[in-house]
Amino acid sequence: MSEPGENVRPAVNAVTDRQEATVRVAGHDRPGGARRLLRRRNALDRPRFLYVVMAFVLVFLFAPILLVVVFSFNATHSLATFSGTSLRWYKQLMHDSALLSSLVVSLEIAAATTVVSAVLGTLLALGLVRAGKRWTRPAQTLAVWPLLNPEIATAVGLLLFFTQFGLTLSPTTITIAHITWAIPYVALILRSRIVGLDPEIEDAARDLGATDLGALRLVVLPLLWPAIIASGLLIFVMSFDDFVTSYFTTGAGVPPLPVAIYSMIKHGVSPEINAVGTVMMFLSVGSVLLALAVFRMRSAGAKEKAVVDLTGGGVA
Amino acid sequence: MRRWVWRLCLIPGVVWLIALFVVPVGFVVAVSFGTVNIVGAPVYGWHPSNYAPIFQSTYTTVLLRSLAFALATTIICILLGYPVAYFIVRFGGRYRGLLLGLVILPWFVDYLVRIYAWVSLLGDQGFLNGLLHTLGVPGSPPLRLINTPYAVIGGLTYDYLPFMILPLFAVLGQIGDAVIEAGKDLYGTPTQTFFRVTLPMSLPGLMAGCALVFLPSAGDFATAQLLGGPSSYMLGNLIDGVFEGGGFWPFGAALTTLVLAVLFVPMLLYVRYALRGGAVISG
Repeated sequence: MSEPGENVRPAVNAVTDRQEATVRVAGHDRPGGARRLLRRRNALDRPRFLYVVMAFVLVFLFAPILLVVVFSFNATHSLATFSGTSLRWYKQLMHDSALLSSLVVSLEIAAATTVVSAVLGTLLALGLVRAGKRWTRPAQTLAVWPLLNPEIATAVGLLLFFTQFGLTLSPTTITIAHITWAIPYVALILRSRIVGLDPEIEDAARDLGATDLGALRLVVLPLLWPAIIASGLLIFVMSFDDFVTSYFTTGAGVPPLPVAIYSMIKHGVSPEINAVGTVMMFLSVGSVLLALAVFRMRSAGAKEKAVVDLTGGGVA
Repeated sequence: MRRWVWRLCLIPGVVWLIALFVVPVGFVVAVSFGTVNIVGAPVYGWHPSNYAPIFQSTYTTVLLRSLAFALATTIICILLGYPVAYFIVRFGGRYRGLLLGLVILPWFVDYLVRIYAWVSLLGDQGFLNGLLHTLGVPGSPPLRLINTPYAVIGGLTYDYLPFMILPLFAVLGQIGDAVIEAGKDLYGTPTQTFFRVTLPMSLPGLMAGCALVFLPSAGDFATAQLLGGPSSYMLGNLIDGVFEGGGFWPFGAALTTLVLAVLFVPMLLYVRYALRGGAVISG
């Protein structure tokens, strides 16, 4: 939470300035002057231009991806003219064994990343909230830094790290790399939920005879399950979609799907990419909507609060 | 609950992050001063001369271009993101959650699929040029859109716009209607109310948004690779070229260290202003 006093100060200054101005206006002008000042409204209050920007941004955001979906059903190879619906690109995708094995690899990596980071991230979040300032201050900096660090630098670091210790690059090294950014992500989402828990609930459990670990298992964890599942789904999507980290830590074997798509795009566009892109889109967006529904379960919070919390308030 | 239980909870995550984040970043810096052995594996040493090529004009151009692209992206994201966040908070009404969700949703579409969407939209054989061709605009392609700096900046804006909107939404949502009403009750015009009340109060969110857009844009490489081509290459493309193209690894590490050094200041600013200033709704 921010200090309320600091936030109010500019408003108070603004208010006094405004009062003086108004007194002057009211004194010198005709009686209608002050009222005219009140009536004089502009774009910020009558949000016509805000509607325009809002509409523009929605078109800007959605037109390109809708185009991908539409042209995945195109009967011809063209990405410019739509000449009838067909499923030929999906059929081609079904028979593209290289792309399908990439899909399997990506799903495996995402599943492993989700499980490991959910456990480690939840523990870290519990520690970050309850371990006491002396410990949490440095731990918190450590937990935020990987999310801010340029992904390419982290990825190059992990590449050098794996090579140094003679680890062959494989789906395992990719998974380890993904877990590294997934832990902070889970920790920060869970942190916002744990902050809202009353520590006295745990004390009550202990008063009723629960051991420390018993209270954690029987009282705290059940309260956190929705948030853990929601952040897990998000990590699944982010790992499934990740490109930069995967790209630098991929070895000679089957590349994960985004890396495979990258080399496909480099060789030229094809509606088959539209088809695989559409499949990925529905997988990812479906999981995110599910995450949002789970996160809101058992919480009276508003929808927008859930969106902000779930995305780490824009930390990542 | 006893404190030691919670301290124990910290250990696995902290150990993982130190071993697999802090140490690897250390490796980048260490390798950047090293050299390689006969099979190309890094050997540690003290060779600051690895950094010398960076000061050649070829590389300074790329560095400046990366920063310029990231800056342009940040500015466009402010111009688009601030009105959107402001609109959703003040005029979203019961559609607040829906609108915010819609604005964030594209971010969950795979990063490469999003870039591909732009390639298929702007390409020489793409949708826009097809449209122009049908309308009878001469030339083939009628308009050069892809492989321009504008395509890269547009793509980066598309990639990172949600990062500007989210923190702004968070801070603008915390400003009570009462404060804005007070500004008006005291005869502030809407413009005055905005510039003297709303804008100063939303600065932590704006700073956070700028850092969250600037940092990843400056380190991006796939957007410049696929939408820009060699004449729009950014630092990330050079790093990619060294590590994936079989280059001299210490130089790649030096370039990566350069990225880290340049972006350290915005990172610090983010931690200072945004995290401490309450732009993150996490308590």
